[in-house]
Amino acid sequence: MTVLRTGWTILRRVCATVTGATGLGIVVVVLIAALFAPWVSTADPDKLDVMNRFSAPSLAHWLGTDHLGRDLYSRLVHGATIALAVALSAIAVALSVGTLLGVAAAYLPPRLERLVLIVFDVIASFPSMVLALAIVAVFGPSTTIVIMIAGITLMPHFGRVARGQVLALKSAPFLEAERILGASFGRIVGYHILPNIIGPLVILASMDIPVVITIEAGLSFLGLGVRPPLASWGTLIQDGYQFLSESWVPVVVASSALAIATLGFTLFGEALRDAVDPRIRQEH
Amino acid sequence: MIVGATRPAPLVEFAGVSVVFDGRVRALDDVTLAVGKGEIVGLVGESGSGKSTLCRVLVGLTQPSSGTVKVGDRTVGEQLAQAPLAFRRRIQLLLQDAVASLSPRMTIGRTLEEPIAIHALPRAGARLELDGILKRLGLSNDVLAKFPHQISGGQARRVGLARALVMRPEIIVADEPTAGLDVSVQGELLNLLLDLQRDFGLTYLLVSHNLNVIRRVTERTAVMYLGQIVEDARTNELFATPAHPYSAALLSTNPAVDPKRRVHPIVLQGEIPSAVNPPAGCRFHTRCPVAQPKCTSDPPLLLPLDGGRRVRCHFPFSLAPRRH
Amino acid sequence: MSPNPLVSIRQLKLEALTARGTAHILRGIDLDIGKGRIVGVVGESGSGKSSLAACLLRLLPANVSRLDGEILFDGVDLVALREPAMNAYRGARIAMIFQDPMTALNPLFTVGTHLRDVLRRRHPGMARDEARRRSVAALSSVGFADAPLHVDSYPHQLSGGMRQRVMIAMALLVEPDLLLADEPTTALDATVEAQIVSLLENLRRTFSGSIVFISHHLGLVAQLCDDLCVMYGGTIVESGPVADVLGGPRHPYTRALLACELEDEAGGGRLVSIPGEVPDPVEMRDACVFAPRCPHVREACLAGMPALRDAGPGRRAACVRWEEVEFELSKPSQR
Repeated sequence: MTVLRTGWTILRRVCATVTGATGLGIVVVVLIAALFAPWVSTADPDKLDVMNRFSAPSLAHWLGTDHLGRDLYSRLVHGATIALAVALSAIAVALSVGTLLGVAAAYLPPRLERLVLIVFDVIASFPSMVLALAIVAVFGPSTTIVIMIAGITLMPHFGRVARGQVLALKSAPFLEAERILGASFGRIVGYHILPNIIGPLVILASMDIPVVITIEAGLSFLGLGVRPPLASWGTLIQDGYQFLSESWVPVVVASSALAIATLGFTLFGEALRDAVDPRIRQEH
Repeated sequence: MIVGATRPAPLVEFAGVSVVFDGRVRALDDVTLAVGKGEIVGLVGESGSGKSTLCRVLVGLTQPSSGTVKVGDRTVGEQLAQAPLAFRRRIQLLLQDAVASLSPRMTIGRTLEEPIAIHALPRAGARLELDGILKRLGLSNDVLAKFPHQISGGQARRVGLARALVMRPEIIVADEPTAGLDVSVQGELLNLLLDLQRDFGLTYLLVSHNLNVIRRVTERTAVMYLGQIVEDARTNELFATPAHPYSAALLSTNPAVDPKRRVHPIVLQGEIPSAVNPPAGCRFHTRCPVAQPKCTSDPPLLLPLDGGRRVRCHFPFSLAPRRH
Repeated sequence: MSPNPLVSIRQLKLEALTARGTAHILRGIDLDIGKGRIVGVVGESGSGKSSLAACLLRLLPANVSRLDGEILFDGVDLVALREPAMNAYRGARIAMIFQDPMTALNPLFTVGTHLRDVLRRRHPGMARDEARRRSVAALSSVGFADAPLHVDSYPHQLSGGMRQRVMIAMALLVEPDLLLADEPTTALDATVEAQIVSLLENLRRTFSGSIVFISHHLGLVAQLCDDLCVMYGGTIVESGPVADVLGGPRHPYTRALLACELEDEAGGGRLVSIPGEVPDPVEMRDACVFAPRCPHVREACLAGMPALRDAGPGRRAACVRWEEVEFELSKPSQR
């Protein structure tokens, strides 16, 4: 009950600013497109109609067609599904693995803790594109690979934040009180630490969504990401780029979608971060 | 010939307990203290006195570097190793910051169920017990749905107390139970503590910087300075005629409202020394108004005086508070 | 109270906006601060005592929605002043010592820099040597044994008691007409508190201004202050010379508060407390603010906020029934 009330308060705050409301608006549009793609799109995104290639926007094809006569609008909508699916999966991986390692690092003996931190640092300092190329070279391109790469790249950030949160909490009186009651380590971590650190991690996650969307688009643009017939925005941009001389519409349309979605999620994430504040506590 | 009854073994016994942090900070130095069953013992001291460390050692949060602490007939270490949950049920600590001692994202009701879950207490019986305790402590049922930041300091203290009582402890250590409470409500809490002590046969160790609370509530008081117990006496005797100069000075710092009760405060010079490098000889000699040459080189031992009092001083009773 | 007070507060009202509504922090304060007097202001949580000090300096938080009434400081109404004019009073004619010595000093600057800043504000263009000399002298006067050494120390190198002394030195260098001390010893250890209290007592001989000493510790106020002002729920319920008020309180709250002070030797008796809770600043009722908890409440008490009325020489109490209650209590109880 209070969770809902808090959620509503946060939402109100996000909408209070122009940037927040804009971000939220864009996020909602992308979400609808992603979740309801088959119903929002007007045509089958894979339907070829080569006779009709590069047609101008019309009633049948709201944004025209690409080099194979496929409806651009519908491909765009399905691209949203891919962008979001990859983003959420990658973040789920990064969040869970990062939190696990971060919490562990806060409680491990100093040597092992240093080891974990070194792992974080190595991953963080590795250029993600080089990592991507290496992994794809071994395993071949696929959606799963993209998710893995994005997940690994983001994991250290979550890990460090989680560790920092746990360290700050370690000397909190209520944790000592639980120890005095006789609570086991597992109980303390599960019931008392995790619920109290999850907040900042969720905010971080929402701010990382545009990052993953961009990574995925970049990889797909290079041909290292999702495989046809799946059409991510990156692939759309690549296709359009190849045939730029014949029509500028596909590139512009796909790039715009990418840019607007990224902007929207970034604005929303920042507004969310600002809205979730200890100030909220006074409202009860 | 009168045969004196043998004194029952103390419930809590500190024997030569020292705690050294990082090899440098001597938080506790050779502490010896006994608390009998059903006693209410007060612990006074300023920053660096070691009173908080003493409490933490007693409940097993901090390990002594040397010496033993016994609760009952076995040491704390043994009990934690062999039967940790049973030990936890025996002795509870009420933290100074009551609101912060409650898990911020759990409702009060859920927090109160923690001990029941942890110790696998039979649910039906424990719930009944909890209801009774809540009523006893004057906590209405609507506090159960609230979060720690939504309740007052006084309520938070009582919640902490309820959480401890569910397990039916034998000993309760209370760290500054009235800190942050307004004068007009602290009486209620203290009455509650005294009633509970009587009804449940509890043993209390009460840490407070509020000398009025100590005087009204405790039977015996130990005064600590820089990690050592410098005096241990019955409370009314301590307040009437403190033996150790530090006790005398400390007790004189409490200005009384009633002019008839006022004493000339004994103002000590200097600051409290650091625990890393305590003064040689008697630790108090650097600030003691009546220090003698012997005090600078010869550390005094905690020795018994008449009437069950112990003092760590070469020249006890040399400093007496003067009334107005 | 005094014939020619330094500060004369009339009907001071302070309101602030909170998430739960408008909080009435001060509900019409009337208070005189005599020249050269030490006035103790005591109260529990929610009494508004710290807000009173904040009003005297007009250092109010952003959510304040209303500040009405008069604060006549040597004839000038501080409430009506524009900000630059008010700022001229701060650090020049009014100085303050805060509760928490740990955070009141800037960790980047030495003690000497802090003191020099105060001096330069008071005497613009003062030479460095002169400022240093006066700083060392100020530190000595507040009890620093090795002042030339400490003048170059940073705050983190000093203990709590020493930092508080530095604050007092800074406040004294201002040579203010009015010194505000908001719980200056609450955060200190007992023996260190005794040193600061002793220092403040000695101050009377050298400091000619008025002091407002805010505390929740009645005993401390009894020892240090000349006059006492008891606050409850944003109002002053009683005021007068400290010995008179504490020796013979006229307001039921003062009486109850004194009974709660655990000073009786007789342990074993029930400890006294006042049933109920302090009033919520968001709810304002037009009745005596202490009525819900008062053992002597009658119909008349609910008719409106009682004004401070005369209750003896130099004394005032905000209780419509104070004379009746005095009479009731003086009758021997019939057993």
